Amino acid sequence: MWRMKGRTRSAMGQATTVLVTLFGLLVLTFVIGRIMPVDPVAAIVGEDATNDVYENVYRKLGLDRPLYIQFLYYMRDILTLDLGVSIRTGRPVVEDVLHVLPATIELATFAIIVGAGLGVPMGVLAAVKKDRWPDHVIRIISLLGHSMPIFWIGMIGLLIFYAGLGWVGGSGRMSQFYIGLVPEKTGFLFIDSALAGDWDVFRSALNHVILPASLLGYSSSAYITRMTRSFMLDQINQEYITTARVKGLSRPKTIWRHAFGNIRVQLVTIVALAYGSLLEGAVLIETVFAWPGFGSYLTANLIIGDMNAVMSCVLVVGLIFISLNLLSDVLYRVFDPRTRAE
Amino acid sequence: MTLATDTTRPRRMPQSLIAARNIVGFLLRSPTSAFGLFVLAVLILTAIFAPLLATHDPFLQDLQNPLQPPGDGHLFGTDELGRDIYSRLVYGSRISLMIIFLVSIVVGPIGLFVGAISGYFGGWWDTILMRVTDIFLSFPSLILSLAFVAALGPSLNNAIIAISLTAWPPIARLARAETLTFRSADYISAARLQGASSARIIWKSIVPMCLPSVLIRLTLNMATVILTAAGLGFLGLGAKPPTPEWGAMIATGRRYMIDHWWLVTFPGLAILSVSLAFNLLGDGLRDALDPKQMNKR
Amino acid sequence: MKRLLACAAFGAMLMTSPLSAPSAAWAETPADQLIVAWTLNNVLTMDPAAITGSETVAVLNNLYDTLAQLDPETNELIPRMAESWEFSDDNMKVTFKLREGVKFASGNPLTAEDVAYSLKRALLLNLPSSSNLKSRGFLPEDADKYFVAEDETTFVMNLPQQDDPKILIMELTQAGAGSIVDSKLVMENEVDGDWGNAWLTNNSAGSGGYVLTQWRSNEYIILTRNENYWGEMPEMARVLIRHLPESQSQRLALQQGDIDLAYSLAAPDLAALQEEEGITIETVPSAGFYYLAVSMKDERFANQKVREALRYLIDYDGVNSAVMPFYGVKHQGPLNSGVFGAIEEPGYTLDVEKAKALLAEAGYPDGFDTTLRVISEQHFLDAATAIQGTLAQAGINAEIITGDGGQIYGAMRERNFELLVGRGGGGQIPHPESNLRAMAFNPDNADEAKLTNYQGWRTSFYDEKLNDMIGTALLETDQDKQRAMYEEVQHYMADLVMSIQPFSERVVTAAYQSDVSGVIVNPWVSRFEGVEKDR
Repeated sequence: MWRMKGRTRSAMGQATTVLVTLFGLLVLTFVIGRIMPVDPVAAIVGEDATNDVYENVYRKLGLDRPLYIQFLYYMRDILTLDLGVSIRTGRPVVEDVLHVLPATIELATFAIIVGAGLGVPMGVLAAVKKDRWPDHVIRIISLLGHSMPIFWIGMIGLLIFYAGLGWVGGSGRMSQFYIGLVPEKTGFLFIDSALAGDWDVFRSALNHVILPASLLGYSSSAYITRMTRSFMLDQINQEYITTARVKGLSRPKTIWRHAFGNIRVQLVTIVALAYGSLLEGAVLIETVFAWPGFGSYLTANLIIGDMNAVMSCVLVVGLIFISLNLLSDVLYRVFDPRTRAE
Repeated sequence: MTLATDTTRPRRMPQSLIAARNIVGFLLRSPTSAFGLFVLAVLILTAIFAPLLATHDPFLQDLQNPLQPPGDGHLFGTDELGRDIYSRLVYGSRISLMIIFLVSIVVGPIGLFVGAISGYFGGWWDTILMRVTDIFLSFPSLILSLAFVAALGPSLNNAIIAISLTAWPPIARLARAETLTFRSADYISAARLQGASSARIIWKSIVPMCLPSVLIRLTLNMATVILTAAGLGFLGLGAKPPTPEWGAMIATGRRYMIDHWWLVTFPGLAILSVSLAFNLLGDGLRDALDPKQMNKR
Repeated sequence: MKRLLACAAFGAMLMTSPLSAPSAAWAETPADQLIVAWTLNNVLTMDPAAITGSETVAVLNNLYDTLAQLDPETNELIPRMAESWEFSDDNMKVTFKLREGVKFASGNPLTAEDVAYSLKRALLLNLPSSSNLKSRGFLPEDADKYFVAEDETTFVMNLPQQDDPKILIMELTQAGAGSIVDSKLVMENEVDGDWGNAWLTNNSAGSGGYVLTQWRSNEYIILTRNENYWGEMPEMARVLIRHLPESQSQRLALQQGDIDLAYSLAAPDLAALQEEEGITIETVPSAGFYYLAVSMKDERFANQKVREALRYLIDYDGVNSAVMPFYGVKHQGPLNSGVFGAIEEPGYTLDVEKAKALLAEAGYPDGFDTTLRVISEQHFLDAATAIQGTLAQAGINAEIITGDGGQIYGAMRERNFELLVGRGGGGQIPHPESNLRAMAFNPDNADEAKLTNYQGWRTSFYDEKLNDMIGTALLETDQDKQRAMYEEVQHYMADLVMSIQPFSERVVTAAYQSDVSGVIVNPWVSRFEGVEKDR
């Protein structure tokens, strides 16, 4: 991250920086939103509409105003937390985002559990067995996950595990006929179905999340594996490990008690960053799995040029990213003396 | 002024050559990176000799002969319009290489330029440029390129532009960091004392010094570029039909995949192997250039 | 490396195994729920005054009633909310007698007032549904004059101009302008004089067999049985329409028993499902055509010889057998089949030599370079690619430009295109007027006229005599004479060589579990009220 004068960045300074970045984000999203060649009006009125219907809708959307006026309105709306009404859903965008975000968070959370559950042990093992065959195998396994086009492997996964073997559920968050049966309180299906005591829905949800989450998690495990391995190597090569070994501690014990204990904080920040990047993979995997999440919402709105929705989504993603970066930055500086010394 | 360049040049050139040779040697010793190099060599050769390797015209439709399984005159079968998938994959390698090449020649200079200016001048330049970089970095790159493609209109060229727009910030960061380490070096100060213009110093002294690490970073990015391009193609925001772009081939083949697995499997494997090759190579390069790791060997 | 190869081989092996054989259906849908899969990309509102597209019409058919309806089997006009209707002698007035005792889902009685309110609302809101009324001459400023409630059960519609009133009633059978809304309920939810538009976007106020429980854009639509329904109670207590944009997902879900009915299956999947036991496939004719359109703004296509050459550069049989199964059947005339007055098919075939000769005559012996626009949906693309191939045989190099509906039809709307493969051409109403209005009629060819709802205008096609012929045929009150006049129109059009050449007539296909019955496949007239499950 950028540096202000001196070694300590005041909270104020950090806040200003975030605000400036946010403002830039707004300008960028506005520009993207307004230069889009997609005509939202055409999408609304259909192809057989007469011209005055078209003009009427055009004016209703405020598209006849000059750009800078539109931008001012946009800024005013954002500041009052009014993200506008989505063209495609006819609801306030805030409501839409609150509806779709939990679906993606649920997916990403399961994915990160898989990703970390796979990546951390593989990274540790690779470090311990450095340059021996487990290291090479792990490298290939994890890079393979990182190299797979996620949409492709998603399709193949569906084909094998849903169509072929019938082990997992297919498209969507739950079996189709469960949709709408559980009252949407939090938007998190697992929480909602547990609250309602509807365990059939809960099971169905589990059945459906497992495949996309595993694939997404697998693809993110490469990064976690690599970082874990490199952190572990740093630790293993430090003298106290050797000292501990000399003092007679067994190797696994040393590794777990000392080396791994020391990298926990670093791992948390890495996992946080990986979590953020899962949002990205979600765009593609959600398309393949008809997952009604943030990614599907964003792409669907991009395609019809629903600018309110697109800009808000981009803003939300930007916010999530900025806060995750900030979080990992803070964690790093608080817990890792080396970054301070650098 | 001439003195400054004269003193740096003879020392630099052979050094970088030796470094390059060492790196390649190192890469070839590790089986995984050697595999990466091998696949890339195959990719480049395929692209160059595509007309010789292809068994059919990749665009030629044969509506009487669609969806033929692999074998019988069509190595990887035919697609829904009766086009030969193998030949399309072969020609598709040109598109992949073109994407990589164009993204690199756009991203490299922009990143270098922004990073070098930011690092060399510092102050306001640094603040503004790095803030812009941060804004771009605060998006996941796929979502940002999606938004850009949507804004520019879907096509292969726009996909390349969009990917480039999202790929330069890390390069700029890197170039800035490198520049910062050279900025106060003696020969730069000497050049400045002799009255060399800032532009000249940046061009003659800073840029060449940043180049190797920027190039390596670009290589590391290639897997992401390939995957993003394929993702855009898959979402229908990349290459237009009938261009045999691999991601778009998967998107089309998807509609037939339950009964005709070859339509998606082969393009998917092609993307997978190229991006894996870049990842393995990148991994190897990272090891090769990490002094900590080198010392321990 | 070996490992990698082994992985690849394993993957390939898995893929070659007969995957399409479904395992035991562990998810069967409940007996009183209908689970439908559809592509809901184009569903943008639930307000009948603002809807476009067949999917939304199909949904709203279930929520709202109309004065009359079309028999799904025979396409004949049959009563619904109106028990009967009669025309005045000059054909300028229609008097409807409404069914008595009908209640809206809210419990409010349905009266002639509601009918008048609904039509005024559709006309005055100036949203997509008003197009249907305006194209028949209704002017917003005179809304009160046209739609009059004489008493509780008598509704009078005054026509704005000489017309065939049958067409108007046919127009109003469709959800949209014809949907009768609960005026009391809507007015309660009005905000800033919006005629309840914001509220109706996500709610329903009708008398149909179902009420809207929830609509989630691009996710699902949930309909619940209307307990106040005036007709026979629908068997399905709940209808869930799920947005599954991928045909293959729909097919898998159908095979696995996750859904009962799938509407947007692609041809290859339908072909595969045909072999499947326990799944029924039904194909019915629908409205409109797949066509190749030219812009006559372009001087090359303004040349009749060039248009005629294009007529012989489409492989009608090839396209229809390779690309169009389940989407369309070969068709070349300007009227949908089954519409009265439709003449015998002209029987054009791919004839490159003849086309070359025509091009030479027109002064393009070596062909020319042009562009061919098409929306990026698979069968459209495939059809366009096939046509691109045959055009090339006569030296016409057409670069394909793809985009979404807004981009492709948007360009057409701006009269800024060269060639275009598209779908459309009216026909939702079984009357020649519907096709001819959409495809050939163009009252004013000026750019400023912006008659974007006429494809004749969009393609810059203008022929005064044809306009007159279409106009007089419409007003003819004698059935036989009218038929003869429409036949003459079609022969005249064939001689003119129109700007739009149909190559396929649209059909729609749905697949459903065989224990489901009463499905109406054509979305324009579809209703779920008669659907039953034998399970």
